[in-house]
Amino acid sequence: MNLLYKTYYFSSYQCDQRRCFYIDFGHKQVKLSFCQLLALRQKVQTIDIASHFDKDLNYSGIEIITLCNREHLFVFDTLQVMDLKQLLKATFGILELNSLVLH
Amino acid sequence: MKDIVRQKIGINVDVMDLLNEQIAKEAHSAAVYLAMASWCDHNGLIYSAEFFYKQSYEEREHMLKIFKFINENGGTAYSPEVSNINHDFNSLQEIFETALDQEIQISKSIHNIVTKCRKVMDYGTENFLQWFIQEQMEEENQFRRILEMFDLMGTDGIALKLIDERVKHVE
Ligand SMILES: [Fe+2]
Ligand SMILES: [Fe+2]
Repeated sequence: MNLLYKTYYFSSYQCDQRRCFYIDFGHKQVKLSFCQLLALRQKVQTIDIASHFDKDLNYSGIEIITLCNREHLFVFDTLQVMDLKQLLKATFGILELNSLVLH
Repeated sequence: MKDIVRQKIGINVDVMDLLNEQIAKEAHSAAVYLAMASWCDHNGLIYSAEFFYKQSYEEREHMLKIFKFINENGGTAYSPEVSNINHDFNSLQEIFETALDQEIQISKSIHNIVTKCRKVMDYGTENFLQWFIQEQMEEENQFRRILEMFDLMGTDGIALKLIDERVKHVE
């Protein structure tokens, strides 16, 4: 397995043999197809982090995210959400870089 | 390390984001034209109403075209939310002007995606978007020609009725 990127809380991997991706959430590791990784990226991208600093918009300052057609459910706090945003941005950056190097 | 991403998806991921935004814009256009059709219908401008029903349908087709393109190439298209549709207009001229402005914004948006395609060398999507560039030029021109009628014939009374009847011949 190749490490793609590591943040404070999470890390992402690509497995060449199984042609899939893994995200290590600390307490558990989740296997993701490319499609599922795309879906996670979309979900995380659309989280409005500013709402975490507004009591009227997001009172508890948490985000509930489901993964892989609701097979997994995660509750993240503000710091973890920011970390996750960073992870996905960087992971896709690394993947693009890999593509550039190979072709 | 294998390029699994490229094996799975034929278009650039950032371009895909822009295409998904474009889907929402086309859906929004479709809804705007529907509101315009309704206004025309209520104000006895039946040919203009017909014209906008058709425009609305075409915008939905544009949306579907992009939607299917993303999915066919391994990406994920997202069904858009539509909000903020204005139903208040002062005149038919205002409607056509608003419509032209909207088409110009859409043209710019398409051009912006093409620019991105070139930057990341996504020539497949660039080629796909050529059809939209052509289509936008035609649509802009169509609204320009209708607005010229107001310049020539005026904006009220019998002129309005005459313009409405002529709108049906504009293709
Ligand atoms: Fe369109
Ligand atoms: Fe259009």
